[in-house]
Amino acid sequence: MSALPPVAPVPSAAPAKTKPLLAATDVVQEYARADGGTLRVLDRVSLSFEAPSINMLLGASGCGKSTLLRMLGGVRPWNVKTPTSGRIEIGGEPCTGPHPDAVMVFQHYANRPDLTVWQNVMYPFTFSEWKRRVTDKDAKERVDQMLQEVGLADKRDQYPSQLSGGQNQRVALARALVLRPKVLLMDEPFGALDAQTRANMQTLLCKLHAAHPCVVVFVTHDVTEALLVGDRVIVLAGQPAQVIEDFHIPLRQPRSADWLMSAEARQLHEQIVGHLRASGANGNLRVSV
Amino acid sequence: MTDFWNPYRTLEPAQQRLLGLGSVLVVLLAWTALSASGLLSKNQLPSPWAVAQALAYLGWYEGHSQLAWATLWSVGRVATASALVIVIGIPLGVLMGSSPRINAVVSPLIDPFRSAPVAALLPIMVMWFGIGEFMKIAFLFVGSIVYLTPLVRDAIRAVPEGYLVSAQDIGATSWECIRKVLVPLAMPRIMDAIIVGVSVSWTYITVAEYVNAQEGLGQLIANARRLSATDQVFAGIIVIMAVALLTYQGLMALKRALYKWETKE
Repeated sequence: MSALPPVAPVPSAAPAKTKPLLAATDVVQEYARADGGTLRVLDRVSLSFEAPSINMLLGASGCGKSTLLRMLGGVRPWNVKTPTSGRIEIGGEPCTGPHPDAVMVFQHYANRPDLTVWQNVMYPFTFSEWKRRVTDKDAKERVDQMLQEVGLADKRDQYPSQLSGGQNQRVALARALVLRPKVLLMDEPFGALDAQTRANMQTLLCKLHAAHPCVVVFVTHDVTEALLVGDRVIVLAGQPAQVIEDFHIPLRQPRSADWLMSAEARQLHEQIVGHLRASGANGNLRVSV
Repeated sequence: MTDFWNPYRTLEPAQQRLLGLGSVLVVLLAWTALSASGLLSKNQLPSPWAVAQALAYLGWYEGHSQLAWATLWSVGRVATASALVIVIGIPLGVLMGSSPRINAVVSPLIDPFRSAPVAALLPIMVMWFGIGEFMKIAFLFVGSIVYLTPLVRDAIRAVPEGYLVSAQDIGATSWECIRKVLVPLAMPRIMDAIIVGVSVSWTYITVAEYVNAQEGLGQLIANARRLSATDQVFAGIIVIMAVALLTYQGLMALKRALYKWETKE
């Protein structure tokens, strides 16, 4: 046996990258109130995200986490404005409107009732923006493959009304991932599903994320969901909301229910719930297993 | 007995038909009894049998069918007016529904006419457009479009915002949002608006054909009234109701066939 050459020391930290994929800097959001004053929803939130990662934005209902999510992807319908102050950048470029690299999945799926499952996933490619980027042949191949991945290949000709809630959310997830986004934003996507279906969807999300590495920003008010799915958990609380906790969970997903019972997980759980309680979010968060 | 007052209960088709037929029969019987009682003269209320005979006479007499000819003319006028209403009213309603600014400009010009006595416009129409075919079509057009357009606008507005937001998220342009999101999702309700528009045209056909018509069901009724042939007036009204009902059923069937997804909700 010859002596192994000495192992070169691994740098303790990755060299600092100049541009994170997705970054929010000092984001403040204020709404005009009916009485003429302003309501500050978000207060100087700074976060940066590197791919691939699943980032859970955890907070009580109505704390402003959905507002932050919508601003992150440039999803700005008429009621969400650009940040009152601060910057949002995708790939180092300021993001000022709907961004082609960022796609959103909504809690209520937004599946078109008049289109079949296949047509619903093909849907983005019927708009000029994506017709320009992807040829028709490529798009169809992507759709077929995506339906396989989410396990809906045999439902391709059915309509959303014929599907269960979980299946509908799979369609919505497929429609987002078929665009191969760099940023996938999910607004309480599994909030309306029953516990068993939610668990299945969480597993599916982890599997899909492994196959399609991207930055997932996932809004939830379910502490358990955050601990099971997230690489990183960011807790927002307060009024206006601030980041009160931000930590990584190194254990690979999908994490088991057994792990949730471990001392480590229980400690994280209590820590988060404690923080949220301290910030006055009683009753608005889900702490069930 | 609680079942009687259950609004969500669907009746067996046989029971539904039986009840419907029964109510029509009761009215026919009352009608027969009233006309036979002698309380009203033959001219005030002809017997059902006399109306049936008038229908037969109008339907076929000496190798000529007045009724078929008149129906064809009226159908033609309603169809022409409806086609114009659809071609102009739907795009207008879609634009009004999609943009509050367009709506603010156009709706004061349309909405008041919904409650206005459109029949009172007839003399004005005659003054402007003469007494020919153009006036009749224009009258039906005005009467119908003021109903259809606001309904189309409301159909567009009723499309849930989520569909628009998600389409914008994947980069849809404003024009694509209208053409590929709002209109397809509003189509079942736009179809309802078309059905209302066509039905309104049928209710105005007699008024439209009142002035200087040589043909048509309205003219047939007006003529019969002048000759005090009340049985023929009744026959004409029944035919108009039947044709309008047939149009309605046909359009409903078309809607169900085209927009199966809507009923699957």
